[in-house]
Amino acid sequence: MSANDHAQGAARQSMKRRDFLQRAGWGSVGVTGLIIGVSRAPALAHPPSQYPSWIPPSDKPPKRGGILTRASAWDPPVLDPRLTNSVGLSQIATLVYNRLLRYPFSDEAKNDTDLTLKGDLAESWEGSADFKTWTFKLRQGVKWHNVPPLKGRELVADDIKYCYEAYAQEGVQTFTFQEIDGMETPDKYTIRIHLKTPNTMFPQNVAEAVTTIFPREVLEEDGDLKSRMIGTGPFILKEHERKVKVVLTRNPDYFDKGYPYIDQYRILSTPDAATRLAAFRTGQSDHLVLQSLADVETLRKTNPKAVIQEAVTGLAPFGLNLRADKPPFNDVRVRRAMSMAIDRQKQVNTLFEGHAMLGWGVPYFYWQDELPSASDLGPYWQYRPAEAKKLMAEAGYAKGFETTLFYYEYFPQMTSQIQLVQQDLKRNLNIELKITKNDYTTYFGRYAEGKWDGTAWGFQTGYAVSRDERTYHYMHSKSPKNYFRVNDPVIDELATKLRQTPDHAEQQALTKKLVEREHDQVLRMWMPYDAGFFIWQPHARNIGQLALRSHGGYGASTLARLWLDK
Amino acid sequence: MTIYVVRRLLLAIPVLLLASLVVFGLMRIMPGDALTALMAESGNVSPRELQKLRKDLRLDLPYHEQYLHWVWQMVTFNPGRSVFTGDAIATSLKKSIPVTVELAAMAIVFGVALAIPLGVLSATRQDKLSDYIGRLIAISGLSFPDFWLGTLIITFAAIWFSWIPPLGYTSLWESPWRNLQQFLLPAAVLGLRLSAATMRMTRSTLLEVLREDYVRTAWAKGLSERLIIYKHALKNALIPVVTIVGGQLGTLLAGTVIVETIFALPGMGRLTVEAILFRDYPVVQTNVMLVAATLVTLNLLVDLTYAWLDPRIRYQ
Repeated sequence: MSANDHAQGAARQSMKRRDFLQRAGWGSVGVTGLIIGVSRAPALAHPPSQYPSWIPPSDKPPKRGGILTRASAWDPPVLDPRLTNSVGLSQIATLVYNRLLRYPFSDEAKNDTDLTLKGDLAESWEGSADFKTWTFKLRQGVKWHNVPPLKGRELVADDIKYCYEAYAQEGVQTFTFQEIDGMETPDKYTIRIHLKTPNTMFPQNVAEAVTTIFPREVLEEDGDLKSRMIGTGPFILKEHERKVKVVLTRNPDYFDKGYPYIDQYRILSTPDAATRLAAFRTGQSDHLVLQSLADVETLRKTNPKAVIQEAVTGLAPFGLNLRADKPPFNDVRVRRAMSMAIDRQKQVNTLFEGHAMLGWGVPYFYWQDELPSASDLGPYWQYRPAEAKKLMAEAGYAKGFETTLFYYEYFPQMTSQIQLVQQDLKRNLNIELKITKNDYTTYFGRYAEGKWDGTAWGFQTGYAVSRDERTYHYMHSKSPKNYFRVNDPVIDELATKLRQTPDHAEQQALTKKLVEREHDQVLRMWMPYDAGFFIWQPHARNIGQLALRSHGGYGASTLARLWLDK
Repeated sequence: MTIYVVRRLLLAIPVLLLASLVVFGLMRIMPGDALTALMAESGNVSPRELQKLRKDLRLDLPYHEQYLHWVWQMVTFNPGRSVFTGDAIATSLKKSIPVTVELAAMAIVFGVALAIPLGVLSATRQDKLSDYIGRLIAISGLSFPDFWLGTLIITFAAIWFSWIPPLGYTSLWESPWRNLQQFLLPAAVLGLRLSAATMRMTRSTLLEVLREDYVRTAWAKGLSERLIIYKHALKNALIPVVTIVGGQLGTLLAGTVIVETIFALPGMGRLTVEAILFRDYPVVQTNVMLVAATLVTLNLLVDLTYAWLDPRIRYQ
């Protein structure tokens, strides 16, 4: 039996169990009931489903026109990209604004992990020999939207300079842009960026969805960007009614001639998951994201022609965050023991119905070509309770200890997942985990401020695609984005060296070393996660979902290439 | 009567002041603030920048100054702006109040239209099949939570009829038909729940009234059942029902968040709950005060309605 068969078998088994629970109305019984009788599946790092992980672009001639509608869970908190990195804003901002560079669109990518950089506002870019200076040549004739006060003015290099200076000055992008030592604009279409330290990966950072170029006129007139969004992108923001809808219309003067295909994109604020599902079923929404394999199967009963793509989870966004600078977690033996005492496969089999990854933090395609197998994750990611006990005894904690954990429930399975961890740690190591569930703001305030002891259910932010963000920004001891408070000189050295390494193969090798070091020292204790399934109505074309870039969020800019076959 | 109304209005002042202190205090006790929520997941905002933003939004002022500033804003009917979104609170309320008022009004109409006939039927056919059915409906309405019923309705409407209310919100004046489609199901969900208490109250008070001497006299006079029940008994039985319906209306103004969320309606409930989650102090405070003022007014109106329903009641 192949690994694939195993995965499908596990999925079928959990389907039956789920069906039974649903019919009996026992859903709320939760974890306890699910655990009983679970047969242990082989340690697959990310078992595939029967759905493709990539949907190639359509080879039919595209049709112009039509309205794309999406029931969206998110509302943008504010329209000002300096103040938030929220996915709610990015679902709009990436279509109204542009960036200097971008990642491939669905119709350009070879597969879901194609990260070849493309020009967006820039048409070419070049680094100096020491990678401290980057020169970007802009496209000529790019116009701001034809609405006051911009009225179709041409975008020039000074606009980029102004925008990057504003990002460096205040807000959520400061860390990225304070890296800039100075900028020059030798002519209207050239911007030269001098960095404080060499960075071979700087172009990736200006391709991130959150580095959008906004107009100086609006910031100067309004003092902020909270109420108006005027860009150079494929769509013009026509209407934004908070908690109701966002309406984007086709920009007829878009520099990428012929695009976008659709006339209008309507985002309907729909906070309830059941309503989003019902909206898709009845055709009120063209796109849907489901997290559970069983839910996908249920949907197919009413919408058999829906096009479904499995999201191969590139990384785990959540894991156990330990106060590693204080006892007992400053002892690597304790961290290793805890990691080995947690049965991640059980979580995959029960909570995620057999379809989830075991957990790693740096996107796998930055350190190896294939999805990691369980053994690729190293010994401390395996469930070995006997060895864990031994290690704890060696560290002087044979009788266990008490600690705390606080969390915010980002998705429904999270509470059960944390309870499973609590159960494993108690049973195998006699660690008493006292759990507190917080609301979002309380959790975030405590977590980001870092004034907590014990443990937290930690997260890493979702927008970043680049290797630099996922390594240096998220793991270097001096980075404010290092939420897991990794403070390891080897990691610092590797992450810094990575920035000075231009060769792709060397970058892969260095990243692998960095990941191995992370896993060996259990610096971030990742937990299983499933990115779910992306579902489209059958008339949507060019819909392939790229890794780490969701069409409904940070990767929305690809909708400029989507067309409707109806 | 006038003196009574004036006295009640004066009494409202300390009530509202107390409410303002409670809501102001509770919001400050809760950990985190709007900036923390706004910056959530960005991970790269320095404490210095946060401090600057707090100052810009007056969140760094001592609590008593913040409180006095807010009370002044309330007194001058200028609630200011949301610290989270920057939107004028008055504008947000102007958009969300009509949604909630319409939803609440339709729910009340639906609830009363269902509850009164059922209550009368149950009372007049006590311990008969129709009474049992009526009581079953009432118990169901009390037992089914809004989130369950709403989700069930929207899911099965999609599966069985390939139809759900059009997503979003269209005002009554823009398109009455579309608006009706959007509000009918959520109003029915809320109305069913409300009808349960109203129906049970109608039944029990009507049963009580039907045993009164004057009703017996009416029967003895040979009046028709319809006349006795609807003209003589029901009017008197409705007094406690009015109290319940008045209270329900107040609750609905702030308590429809679940139904608003399921049916994607941008009402007061969603506005308030989101503001609480994001620690948007001015929005929460304004909304709570608005609800408090509405409740005080509604209670007064309910009391005045007693006098209309029962001429024996006099206010000094």
